[in-house]
Amino acid sequence: MNTREAMLSCLFSRCLLGSLLVLALAGCASKGYVALLPDQDGRVGQVLVSNAKGQTLLDSKSQAAELDTAPGKTFVLSDEQLRKDFGAAMAAAPQAPVSYLLYFETGGATLTPESQGLIPQILAEIQRRPGADVSVVGHSDTQGDDNANFQLALSRAQTVAQSISTAQLSADRISVESHGEKNLLIPTADDVPEPRNRRVEILVR
Amino acid sequence: MKHTLCIALCALGCCFGAGTAAAEDAIIGFVKTAQGNASLVVAGRSVPAAPGAALVRSTLLKTGPDASMGVTLKDNTLLSIGPNTELALEEFMFAPAQSQLRLDARMTQGTLNYVSGVMAKLRPQAVTVRTPTGNIGVRGTHFVLSVAKE
Repeated sequence: MNTREAMLSCLFSRCLLGSLLVLALAGCASKGYVALLPDQDGRVGQVLVSNAKGQTLLDSKSQAAELDTAPGKTFVLSDEQLRKDFGAAMAAAPQAPVSYLLYFETGGATLTPESQGLIPQILAEIQRRPGADVSVVGHSDTQGDDNANFQLALSRAQTVAQSISTAQLSADRISVESHGEKNLLIPTADDVPEPRNRRVEILVR
Repeated sequence: MKHTLCIALCALGCCFGAGTAAAEDAIIGFVKTAQGNASLVVAGRSVPAAPGAALVRSTLLKTGPDASMGVTLKDNTLLSIGPNTELALEEFMFAPAQSQLRLDARMTQGTLNYVSGVMAKLRPQAVTVRTPTGNIGVRGTHFVLSVAKE
């Protein structure tokens, strides 16, 4: 092989190598992927990826699959890649909602003194959260008539809603409803007074 | 008598009309965080996303470069998206008493961080995120999804 031939051969192999690299990259061009992470309590759920080739189940921490994956083919997402690809999305995550239970004296919409004492804390939580929205659900115990209890639970929810209304919480961001005696915290027979069932659940999102 | 009937029918009509409108416009969640060029697109109309802005069904969440957005849905699902993302909330029904549970989202590009709410606990098969290449069936509870722009 003379020098010229050697040079050509070298050029050719470089060219071939380059083409192969381009082909390889094109073949691997990711359509995207999904990865399973542990939740706040450290539990790991499940995600099923379905595409034209079949289905792939993810059920362990950091297990990931390409969206166009062959069935069952998964990989482990490194923390570094997670931060790189999802740092912005994860930093934008809203705070987890927080819930409160308020209890009432029997037969009316008067909060127990302990529950009345919680109101300032709830107000502070609402003010602390940008764009907070709140749901207020009233409940009764089973003592007395169904319909009367629905109304009683509604008036409890309305009373609480009024006491947590603030200037920055517009009307469309507070919802008020009654579950009457249909959603007992402590299951009882009908017509049983139970202080723990006379309650309003507040969820601040 | 005729007059009264007409008024009654009109009232009924209004009731139904209002009922339908309410279902279409029902609030399904709220924006909680927004950074940079983040917007909500409803029926082709785009408004800037800001904390407290209401979401209705069929809202498209959209972010530009360096932007992000976080929303909380009525069932406590937490969704947050990174830059250059398009995520459409196509269907959302959360009425456990009527057994109506459904969250159907479509992501065409970008990055999503998903933490499931009550819906995925009550009925795991109720939540789907679709992409041009594959669909994600969500059985809880926390996952991330990236979709390359086609």
